[in-house]
Amino acid sequence: MIVDRNNLPEDIRDLPESCFEIVGSEDISDEPFKTEAIGFFKDAIYRLRKNKLSVIAFWLITAVIISAIIVPHLTGYSPTAQNLAYRNLPPKIPGLEKLGIADGTRILTNRPKASLSEFPEGSIIQIVREYKASNVDMVDVKVDYYKFVGVPEGEYHWMGTDYLGRDLCTRLFLGARISLLIAFFAVVANIIIGVVYGACAGYYGGRVDMILTHFAEILDGLPYLVVTILFMLLFGSGMFSIVLALTVTGWIGTARLVRAQFYRFKGREYVLAARTLGVRDRALIFRHILPNAIGPVITRAMISIPGAIFSESFLAYIGLGIKPPNPSIGVLLSDGQRVLLQYPYQTVFPAVLISVLMVSFNLFANGLRDALDPTQRGEI
Amino acid sequence: MAERDKRDVILQVKDLNVSFRTYGGIVRAVRGVTFDLRRGETVAIVGESGSGKSVTIKAIMGILPSNATIESGEILYGGMDLTKLTEEEFHNIRGKRIGLIFQDPLSALNPIMKVGNQIMEALILSQKMSKKAARQRALELMEAVGIPDVERRFNQYPFQFSGGMRQRIVIAIALAGDPEILICDEPTTALDVTVQARILELINKIKEERHLSVIFITHDLGVVATMADRVNVMYAGKIVETGTSEEVFFEPAHPYTWALLSSMPDLETKERLFSIPGTPPNMISPPPGDAFSVRNRYALRIDFEKEPPLFKITDTHYAATWLLHPKAPRVEMPEALKTRIERMRRRAVGNE
Amino acid sequence: MLKYTLRRWGAMMLTMFIIMSLSFWIIRLMPQSIFENPEVAPEIQRLLEAEMHLDKPMWVQYYYFLRGIITERDFGRSVKLRPGMEVFKVIVSRIKPSMVLNFFSLILAIPAGIILGTIAALQRNKWPDNLISFLVVIFISVPSFVFGAVLQYLFTFKFPIFPTLYNASASSFREMFRSLTLPIIALALGPAATIARYLRGELIETLNSEFLLLARTKGLTRTQAVVRHAFRNSLVPIANTMIPMITGIMGGSLVIERIFAVPGMGGQLVESIVVGDHFLTVALLIWYSAISLITIFIVDISYGLIDPRIRIGGEK
Repeated sequence: MIVDRNNLPEDIRDLPESCFEIVGSEDISDEPFKTEAIGFFKDAIYRLRKNKLSVIAFWLITAVIISAIIVPHLTGYSPTAQNLAYRNLPPKIPGLEKLGIADGTRILTNRPKASLSEFPEGSIIQIVREYKASNVDMVDVKVDYYKFVGVPEGEYHWMGTDYLGRDLCTRLFLGARISLLIAFFAVVANIIIGVVYGACAGYYGGRVDMILTHFAEILDGLPYLVVTILFMLLFGSGMFSIVLALTVTGWIGTARLVRAQFYRFKGREYVLAARTLGVRDRALIFRHILPNAIGPVITRAMISIPGAIFSESFLAYIGLGIKPPNPSIGVLLSDGQRVLLQYPYQTVFPAVLISVLMVSFNLFANGLRDALDPTQRGEI
Repeated sequence: MAERDKRDVILQVKDLNVSFRTYGGIVRAVRGVTFDLRRGETVAIVGESGSGKSVTIKAIMGILPSNATIESGEILYGGMDLTKLTEEEFHNIRGKRIGLIFQDPLSALNPIMKVGNQIMEALILSQKMSKKAARQRALELMEAVGIPDVERRFNQYPFQFSGGMRQRIVIAIALAGDPEILICDEPTTALDVTVQARILELINKIKEERHLSVIFITHDLGVVATMADRVNVMYAGKIVETGTSEEVFFEPAHPYTWALLSSMPDLETKERLFSIPGTPPNMISPPPGDAFSVRNRYALRIDFEKEPPLFKITDTHYAATWLLHPKAPRVEMPEALKTRIERMRRRAVGNE
Repeated sequence: MLKYTLRRWGAMMLTMFIIMSLSFWIIRLMPQSIFENPEVAPEIQRLLEAEMHLDKPMWVQYYYFLRGIITERDFGRSVKLRPGMEVFKVIVSRIKPSMVLNFFSLILAIPAGIILGTIAALQRNKWPDNLISFLVVIFISVPSFVFGAVLQYLFTFKFPIFPTLYNASASSFREMFRSLTLPIIALALGPAATIARYLRGELIETLNSEFLLLARTKGLTRTQAVVRHAFRNSLVPIANTMIPMITGIMGGSLVIERIFAVPGMGGQLVESIVVGDHFLTVALLIWYSAISLITIFIVDISYGLIDPRIRIGGEK
């Protein structure tokens, strides 16, 4: 609205004098923040908790970890004791069995009808199909498999048993424990080596940095799989060997990350100030520079856990994994694969568990990355 | 506004209102902006970041982000209302009628495309020029904006250019379609001081040569003085003062303009540089009354209650402050600023 | 460009040399060395001794090992799986199915990933984007061998559309290809998801970039601007994901080949590891390295072709 001062519209002209008193003050300060200041980690946790998928993922991971700790003790079966009489038992779960799922039944195909009389008492539930083959009466018959092989009443294998009659549930969660431990140790080792290496390269710079970086680059050029396989051959199979093999080149990413952070922060004024005050190298590294790298390093650790779980099961698949009879998720998957078409449940359970773990770790890591890095945007 | 100026109006922005949908709520970035651009003149829009100046020109170019809407108002150009144009119709305006120069030439150029191709691209794609003709024209443009050794430079990539040279390329791109209006969005902010002056000279030179009308966006009043015929001062999405350069510089009427002028660095001032106290208002819920009142030490009671209208001072000079009301107490601008303006005025006279 | 290419080539050669050296020292240091293994037939022991110059000092043997590979493609002989047969010949007989599998997985993954990523970016935060993002997380997280098992169970047993295993006696390429369809899909899911994820992120960033705005202010249509500026620029960082992707596919194929009984190099590698046929293992590993390094080299060079900053700057 434009007005002429000499010809003001009435409502403006007639404003009372009191309106035109100067009330502005000489000292106007910047408006203080109305919200409470929250620290970096509090803020990160707050943002993480707002990410629903990450929260679900976190609880799934926790559930798997707790199960991996306690379930093997609860089932009452030994993970390694073989019982060839009870081979490949189907899953049977108390409660669910009445609903017709996981009831321990199995359809036996191509049985001569005459042989039915030899079946243990009460094991036959239903004859599914009758037919003649080369003049012999044949049947497909649904049996209570537990009774069929003579498992005592009241004994349950929640996930069935494997080809050596071992309880799959016990083995699966023990396997999860071993896989998680391998992943954990491998990641911890990689982080420690990576942080120390990266810190040295980044802090000292110059020739030290050049040599360290070149060495890491050369190592990084080697195909990961080939190196891992070669070192597995050298170390032999076993949990410790897997951790070692995963560490040979696994630390390079962290080292690169830490080095970059050091380059970013070591030139900052506050570091220079600390240095002029005579703060020693070690204090500078650990107190003044390294904390800046913690966010990305944590994220990286989280992201590499599923990678390590994958590598472990991969090695198991190609025959370089955990020493039998010890289980790991990979060993179980690999064993299950052989009988996939006959006994799919032996693959289903470890496959579901590894998928849940991998998806959860990835989702959680993504949430963590977004929470720790406010500039990250638009990533899935 | 003024009938006296006979130069015809080429672009007219009328009561423009633009708001953004954000997570925090509706941000009312531009609130009733009105100004016009006449043939051959340079109009400057001055204001702090977040004052709505860039949003205004994005509305003119039709490149508002997708979460922005033009609530009301008109942008009249060549008998059309630009706010009503479809995306297709806009292609005939952008580049060909109105060119835009960006703030940061590094991020405005595609890093993996030869600069020559970036200049030629629009000529070939939207003006259907032949490749050869487009190349010829691109080379001419590069020469016109002062790039040496054009034949070689033509095939280079943006990262091989210095900041100032990159901005010259951006200017060449803006000129490629031979527009009649050139909008400069803080064209020198990202450049070194020494380069700034040369780019400004260049803009003035091509403006004369090509008879361009220029809208110049900046937060730097010092730049405005050398460039603009008329100045619009924006605060919190509104134009708070408008006038010819001389009027706004030598007889500023709005306390915000005073504050801006006082905070301008200059060689002679010995005392501590003035900074405007407080923070710009939150545009999700702009305060009632004058948005500047909370930071204004001359604020009147009514400033907190009622928005001031634009008071006419001369035919070309208007300011939105209750201080211009006949009943308002006579408030003089601060003494320091007065001496400053006096100095500027003497220098301006001396230069002529 | 020449300097850049030469440097990449040099790096590749150095890596190859390191892998060969590592292989040599590791077979010699392994606890279950073939050289003092009672399970190995005596005539093969003697053959080895003669061929490997076992009476000479280690570093001379190392020299012969390297020279053998470089000049005569002599990787030694298979000890257990195909006793006495030259390892190189074993590999040659196994190359084709592996190459078909790896190549077509890549060929399937790249366009699928690009299409999905583009849709997700252009439909940002709408349902197609959410659906794609969900699938992407699943495909990236779940290992390819789990997909292999699922696909095999579903499409060869429950709904027998494809053959369960590789058809080694296939009379035509088409028939062989049909038996490779499931393994190809199983291998391609992860890489496709990786590309989709990166491309989405990159495209969203480029779509918001100033040069896209400039492209529009100079009068290009929206489509012209997106195709000419956003798309090509987004592909540059995608090239970075190609390298881990290729090695990922090749690694995954080791297991997938076993699941579907594809008589390729992967299956052979697994077998050789299981029975301890170390020369074969090492030779296969060297081959794997060579193939993946050559692919990486090609990716690096094309990367330089797309991005002038690398080509002209000579720096990566």
